[in-house]
Amino acid sequence: MSVTIDPVKTDVKPAESSAPKTVRISGCTAAALGAKFADVDVVTAYPIRPYTAIMMALAQMIADGELDAEYIHSDGEHSQFSIALGAGSAGARAYTGSSGVGVTYGYELFSFISGARIPLQMAIADRTLDPPGDFGSEHTDALCTRDMGWLMGWAATPQEVFDKTLIAYRIGEDHRVLLPQMVCQDGYFVSHISGEVELPDAEQVKAFLPPYKLPFALDTKTPVSHGAQIMPEQGPPLQLLRAKAMEDAVPVIREVTDLFGDIFGRRYAHFIEGYRLEDAEIAFFIQGAHATTAKSAVDHLREKGVKIGIARLLWFRPFPTEDAQKLLGHLKAVGVVETNLGLGGATSGGALALDLSTALYPLTERPLLTSFMAGMGGEAVPTHEFYWMAEKLQKVVRDGRIEKLAHWVGFEE
Amino acid sequence: MAVEVKRQNLPLFPIEDRSRWWNPDLPEGDPFAPGHRTCAGCGPATEYRLHLKAAGDNTITIGPTGCMYVANSSYMCTPYTIPWAHTPIASGGSFASGVAAGYEAMIRKGKYKGEYPNIICMSGDGSASDIGLGPVSGMLYRRHDALLVCYDNEQYANTGIQTSPTTPYGGMTTFTPPGPKIPEGKKLWPKELAKMMAEGHPWAYVATATVGYPLDVMNKTRKGLNYQGPAFMQVYAPCQKGFVYQTPLTVELGKMVVECGLFLVWEREPDTGKYDYFVPDQQHLVVEYLKLQGRFGHLQSEHIAKIQAHANRKWESIGADVPPEFRDAEDPAYYAKHGLGKAGATATATAKAW
Repeated sequence: MSVTIDPVKTDVKPAESSAPKTVRISGCTAAALGAKFADVDVVTAYPIRPYTAIMMALAQMIADGELDAEYIHSDGEHSQFSIALGAGSAGARAYTGSSGVGVTYGYELFSFISGARIPLQMAIADRTLDPPGDFGSEHTDALCTRDMGWLMGWAATPQEVFDKTLIAYRIGEDHRVLLPQMVCQDGYFVSHISGEVELPDAEQVKAFLPPYKLPFALDTKTPVSHGAQIMPEQGPPLQLLRAKAMEDAVPVIREVTDLFGDIFGRRYAHFIEGYRLEDAEIAFFIQGAHATTAKSAVDHLREKGVKIGIARLLWFRPFPTEDAQKLLGHLKAVGVVETNLGLGGATSGGALALDLSTALYPLTERPLLTSFMAGMGGEAVPTHEFYWMAEKLQKVVRDGRIEKLAHWVGFEE
Repeated sequence: MAVEVKRQNLPLFPIEDRSRWWNPDLPEGDPFAPGHRTCAGCGPATEYRLHLKAAGDNTITIGPTGCMYVANSSYMCTPYTIPWAHTPIASGGSFASGVAAGYEAMIRKGKYKGEYPNIICMSGDGSASDIGLGPVSGMLYRRHDALLVCYDNEQYANTGIQTSPTTPYGGMTTFTPPGPKIPEGKKLWPKELAKMMAEGHPWAYVATATVGYPLDVMNKTRKGLNYQGPAFMQVYAPCQKGFVYQTPLTVELGKMVVECGLFLVWEREPDTGKYDYFVPDQQHLVVEYLKLQGRFGHLQSEHIAKIQAHANRKWESIGADVPPEFRDAEDPAYYAKHGLGKAGATATATAKAW
């Protein structure tokens, strides 16, 4: 494949002074720097656009002597994720990633890694699934692994990518959790567009992220067996433990997000970032980069008197049912902006609406809910499309019912 | 500062002769302990014990799905006194790469204190020569310091005897059953897996062995582990269930397959690049090997003649003598002349007896 070199590459050294350093870098470089600050031991790569730039940046850091890690060029994603699993099982902090069909090529490993309870990290820069070949961003790649036991969330800016890389390791490696993490960013919209990133002092990272300590590493001093074959009745207790770990991750995510704010000074919502939601009647429910455009669309609509807001999802797994109920329960209508394909699902649209509907359903007073298929194939979602969606939501409020469960934006009047 | 990675160096066992009676002192320890659920006479389990006895306690072992996963670790009970991990069937080479890389980095960065462990991956022939072939090559290509063993029982045995790329021509499996249209059962010839690994990765230590020569298995294990780089072994290990033979014959078959010229035992040291072939002191017609196993019970003279021709070419390839009788046996008529008729008759009887 051809190579895209980030204009601001890896000439970034860990802050030696105590003063934070601000750089302009892409989401891919931000992910790579996150891994570097996390002092990962094993990096394993296989090329596919657009996440490749993360691995290119890491390769350069290792070549330049800025990061001491084993860099393994794998023979495919199935192997790539297996290498990360092997390294993580040995007790090393492992970092990997992928995009699009690369994610699905290694699919067997998703359940395997979370079931083995190895808290390695994977960076995803989203890309559509074939066919036909399309470089564009769609969240379908990562979302099709959504029930495999990985912590999973989207970052909307390079700064958030950097921060989430550290935050995710800290959560996943917590012994109450011990689950792998998928730190996702929209391909190109975040992965290849530069933004300002404030880099921390190495001491801050040290205070935030303790060394990785797997309680059951493959170590000859304390022999253990991983993954012995079982009887059917021995399966459910293990599955329950994994489900429980996902639930237990919820308070840990809150705790770690707050801790991150205390140490680094950047405060994130635990799960859902509300934007002009308090007095809103309608809102977009969205994750990832298009939320940035949505904000300016909402600002514009607010000027015109439309009571609209945004709920931006920061973690899709575990899904924040409680937070969604609290933040969205009072609204009259919610429009889920899907940038993923859920063929034949209950909405005939995407995957986000399914979880959100379920989360809101137990409420006695709940908003009407519809969804919008937007940004498909990696298209931008321009402000006029958000205006169109807002009109649909206003109509839902006026009519007191939804027109349909999923609208394909750009294909309807 | 980088910490130096200290590696183990295991002494070789003395082999004064290769006869079946030579029995030097062996390590007491058995990291592959008794108490597993493999079949009576299991070749791969016998082999596994030899590898781990040779490797010792500072060893991590990796088991992609296969018999040596399922039968050894049934119901959350494993026979390993050392660390062991199951991997997906295609992940033997890649998981082993990850463990190796993890230890390189952790020791170098001062995060792990201790000697670099032996890393042994036990892949079945289906795993190593079929679904996990690419990852095995990847591990050897990237020069990870680990040993990948293909325990070759010439079939997917765990799933109920299906053909693999190392199943011999004429071998009956549930995917290659003989019938009127396809009398020989398996029509294809086996992959030369170890040769593929040796030729394609000249920097790797590559060897073949069989359970017929236990000390050879143990010494090659140690050589592969001592070598600071990648190592690959393909070890013939009969499966009673799939081959259909009398269980006490496991080790005997390990010798017969070599003495019939059907499995070449050799090693290729990376520094010389030369193949060192073992030439047994006795040679037999392939029919002597085939008739011990029910999986060949359906073979007719013409098929056996083909297998003999195949063995003869192998003998020639290592510069061994091919007795005139062996050449005669390339002709299907040879078998009728010598009262072997449908030469699989003995094997059929064996199979029926079981």
